[in-house]
Amino acid sequence: MIAIPTLILIISGGATGLIGAMLGIGGGVFLVPLLTLVLGVPIRTAIAASLISVIATASASSTINLERGLVNMRLGMTLEVATTLGGLAGGLIAAALSQRQLFLAFGATLAVMGVVMALRSGRRNVIAHDAGVQPGRLGGRLQEGDQAYVYRVKRVPLALTASLTAGAISGLLGIGGGVIKVPVLNAFCGIPIRVAAATSAFMIGVTGAASAFLYFGRGDIALHLTSAVAVGALPGSLLGARLSQRVEARSLKILMAVVLLLVGLRMALQAL
Amino acid sequence: MSSHARTLERIVEVALTAGVAVSGALLVIGLLLGSTAPMWWGVLLLIATPVLRVLVVTVGLALDRDWLFVGVSLFVLSVLLSSAYVSGRL
Repeated sequence: MIAIPTLILIISGGATGLIGAMLGIGGGVFLVPLLTLVLGVPIRTAIAASLISVIATASASSTINLERGLVNMRLGMTLEVATTLGGLAGGLIAAALSQRQLFLAFGATLAVMGVVMALRSGRRNVIAHDAGVQPGRLGGRLQEGDQAYVYRVKRVPLALTASLTAGAISGLLGIGGGVIKVPVLNAFCGIPIRVAAATSAFMIGVTGAASAFLYFGRGDIALHLTSAVAVGALPGSLLGARLSQRVEARSLKILMAVVLLLVGLRMALQAL
Repeated sequence: MSSHARTLERIVEVALTAGVAVSGALLVIGLLLGSTAPMWWGVLLLIATPVLRVLVVTVGLALDRDWLFVGVSLFVLSVLLSSAYVSGRL
């Protein structure tokens, strides 16, 4: 591997942390392709670095989201049961797969999620804001400006299944898995997009940790590369979490769908 | 939201901030000095921060006597700890 200038790594981490924090997805979905396709890092090293960066993004952006009351901690913890189990399993399976198989799995995942995002970019989650509505054990309240909203969580088994899948993919591919959780929680489970993103980011740290220990133990973590990327991701994600409030969700979703499709296809082609 | 839940969120926020700040500082020191030891500790602390967060939430919920979610939280903690244990034996 050619030595990559530290500054480029810091900027890469910063950019993906920024986008990751804005969308509640961690950013690994962009960082892994950036490291492998553009900077020529071997995929296993890239996945390990990405996991650490995703954890940094999750922890940093959660400090801001918690302050704003956007994180649904009870829902997050419930779904973490599934994501950590998935993360552990994914981290164990990853060692058995070849570089080509990892590329293929990554590319296919991205392309599928790109299609899902594109299809639902125009949909809005309707929230009841009737004072009489009770949020239930897992639901919650959300204050946006002067308006108070109440939302209930629907289809918990689906949310758990999505979280298990997200966890496994996270462990396998070094992404947070938010790219699966956020659309599912928002589209099918009745959770407002900002709460879905904040709660997903909150969970991602724990999901990532479940598999990061395994990469750490196997010695897959390239310290210099990983540190540089994480050092960029920390301020990037703090900025992203602050910016997310100001950007229109729809344009972000469309941009994300396009990037996911392009990067996914590119990675899948690499494997063929 | 109850004031208890709000307090717990604040404490979690502080725990995360502390973990991120200390590990970030270690990583920067490691990069500036070109020394691997601070980077190693920085990365390890970064991975440990979410575990610390789960621990804090578990204690907070136990003080709140929310036993169902204490159980949920303990389960998550046990998966994380078994992952750490397995990694030590790889």
